[in-house]
Amino acid sequence: MRFRCERDALLESLTAASRAASTRSGLSASFGGVRIETRGDRAHLAGTDMELSIQTVVPIQSSSEGVAVIPGKLAVDIVRAFDEGVVNVETGDDNAVFSCGRSEFTVRLFAIDDFPALPHRDGGSVTIAARSLGDALGQVVRAASTDESKPLLTGVLLAEQAGGLRVVATDSYRLAVRDLPGTNVLSEGNKVLVPARALGELQRILATVSDGQDLTFWLGSTEVTFEIGTVVLTARLLSGDFPEYQRLIPPSYPNQMIVAKTAILDAMRRMKLLIKDNTTPVRISLREEGAVLNVISPDVGHAREDVDAKYSGTEMNVAFNPNYLIDGIEAIPTDDIILETIDSTKPATIRPSQDEDFQYLLMPVRVS
Amino acid sequence: MVSGAREPVEQPGGPDTPILHVDMDCFFAAVEVADRPELFGIPVVVGGTGSRGVVAACSYEARVFGIRSAMPTSRARQLCPQAVFLSGRYSRYEQVSEEFRGVLMAYTPLVETISLDEAFLDVSGCRRLFGDGPEIARRLRSEIRSVTGLEACIGVARTKFLAKLGSRAAKPRFSRSGVRTGPGVVVVEPDGELDFLHPMSVGALWGVGPATLGSLRKIGVETVGDLARVPLASLVGALGPAAGHQLHELAWARDPRRVEPFLPPKSIGHEETYATDITDRTVLDREFVRLSDAVAQRLSAAALACRTVTIKVRNTGFETVSRSETVPDPLVGGHAISAVAKRLAAQVEMGDGVRLAGVSASHFLPANIAGTQLSFDLAPTQREGGVTRDPGGVKIAAAVAAIRQRFGNRAVGAASLVSPEGLAMKRRGDTQWGPSEETWTD
Repeated sequence: MRFRCERDALLESLTAASRAASTRSGLSASFGGVRIETRGDRAHLAGTDMELSIQTVVPIQSSSEGVAVIPGKLAVDIVRAFDEGVVNVETGDDNAVFSCGRSEFTVRLFAIDDFPALPHRDGGSVTIAARSLGDALGQVVRAASTDESKPLLTGVLLAEQAGGLRVVATDSYRLAVRDLPGTNVLSEGNKVLVPARALGELQRILATVSDGQDLTFWLGSTEVTFEIGTVVLTARLLSGDFPEYQRLIPPSYPNQMIVAKTAILDAMRRMKLLIKDNTTPVRISLREEGAVLNVISPDVGHAREDVDAKYSGTEMNVAFNPNYLIDGIEAIPTDDIILETIDSTKPATIRPSQDEDFQYLLMPVRVS
Repeated sequence: MVSGAREPVEQPGGPDTPILHVDMDCFFAAVEVADRPELFGIPVVVGGTGSRGVVAACSYEARVFGIRSAMPTSRARQLCPQAVFLSGRYSRYEQVSEEFRGVLMAYTPLVETISLDEAFLDVSGCRRLFGDGPEIARRLRSEIRSVTGLEACIGVARTKFLAKLGSRAAKPRFSRSGVRTGPGVVVVEPDGELDFLHPMSVGALWGVGPATLGSLRKIGVETVGDLARVPLASLVGALGPAAGHQLHELAWARDPRRVEPFLPPKSIGHEETYATDITDRTVLDREFVRLSDAVAQRLSAAALACRTVTIKVRNTGFETVSRSETVPDPLVGGHAISAVAKRLAAQVEMGDGVRLAGVSASHFLPANIAGTQLSFDLAPTQREGGVTRDPGGVKIAAAVAAIRQRFGNRAVGAASLVSPEGLAMKRRGDTQWGPSEETWTD
């Protein structure tokens, strides 16, 4: 195999594919590999860890077709380090040579036979707006758990809701729910649980798409596939029942604060200077005159900030994990956010000041 | 300030000898003798009296026979069958220790407690009231004697390290022929430090254990003086950078550590040696509940929560395994701690049986400041509002503490600890040195 390719195009393609290539230890070494196959004036790249696969296509000038499995992360680092221009890639039986300008790297190849089989798309397909799904994932995926001992919570629920799509995730401390009305991808009553890691990668890919670009969604029996331009991402579905999250959402809240997103985020950023670990809560006093934020950090000190806010309800104190709170506020697209509370031990909600399509529930930290 | 005109570097507390190290003589054994005068003058050994016990303390009369602390009690019995063997009364020792601390605190609040029977004092601030370091040392000794009836030895020096060596030099001497009184107070004068230090064996230095001692002997170092003359680079080569630098500094009597009166504990733990090996996993789990409960009680007394739990398991073959886990949210209460301890224990092979089990907590946070992250109750139950009522067992822990305060420690506890004889509770100091004879069965 021998081809030439623009450095930037190759880097983008290679980076995307290598992000699916697992670096988990204990697996066969070629799991960390990216498979390259050249056919005509296209190179097809793929990375997989069996649960997540990302396949990309990049235009090349090929002088000899072939297949090879290259070490993914190393290849990305090498190509990124090259100057802009044309990269030459040539593979032999055991080695690949990457050269650009006066630089040349020869790296060992992985065995082609050890590379896992790539998934095939099956099932029917639907086309939706890429940007809106990307925005929804950006708001929700952050609330999923990274704790492998709670496998169901490492998934993001995609469910049909009133003819549209609902995206839900929870790590048992917070719950994010986003509705995409009119995005009709699942049949009535249908739902799937997709690993948050895969959707996190999809979100990265979608972050660069332009307005109006489409995404094609394929739902198979064990896998779901997203196709955006030249990138195809396939994720194995999680099996099991996602918790019944609806019953966690309180029907109403007696207390409501409206505050400027930038004001509270700036205050939180300052508060975080005193936070050494994730267990130091931020204490919020909700008062008629506004909110008072306090962080008391043992052996370090104390930070306090007054934030202007409109408040209706009974005066109360509530404490939150600062990172969970910031995650929720950042997910709000509007200039003002609404924070609603019941009391210091029941779920609070953060939502946008205008539409009702998104809510972020957050459990408080109990402090004495 | 004009640059270059630096203030002299201040030593801890001043240029002379303001640091005192006070060490009670044969503390546990001495408390027993003071409480029971009929034991005066005869060999007394305190420790685990059962077949697996170890010596915790012994009187000088017992040391004459070669008995030492940490020695198996069975060996001590061989050396001196006529000695009086006592299983120890930890709460009484704590009581006497409080009296001892009270004497020290009357002089200065700068008291760093090392253990029940040992403390450092920095008297630089109170010398105008009570006299210089050596004078205060003499007054302390006689006051400790009149308040507790016990003897203490005191080292007086410029640094903690030298004061500690001083108190050791002040101890009584004993040999096969008997006990000779020691000086009681040894003052290491600033201009005599190296003369005092250099003839000592390197084993006297802090941080020199058997392994380091071996490495030092290999390069021909026997005394602290030998060590001081080894070039720093060679020392670093032989011992590594950290130990090399530290020992080099100590060998030249340089020790920058101050007396830290409020040093919080780094870990709180309990362990127990069993009279008969535990072979049943359920029984072992129950032991972890019991030990965790005791740890939780001490944490709660100190108003602390912990994030790391460590367990220790020693099997019949004397192989010891430790496992630890650090959790994201602070743990409060025996229930929360034992859940982690049992999870860790499940990873440990029991082998032919478990001889010793231990639980310790570390990575402390103030219990009230840390708070508890509440979580949704995701299990499909009918509980109100879908919210777990007592995440982390915080309310349980508080209720248990309140009941115990009113009705005593045995009033409430984990169901798995209930037996026909009542609640099996772990008390501090309980079988600390191995099970005693009474509980030992075949």
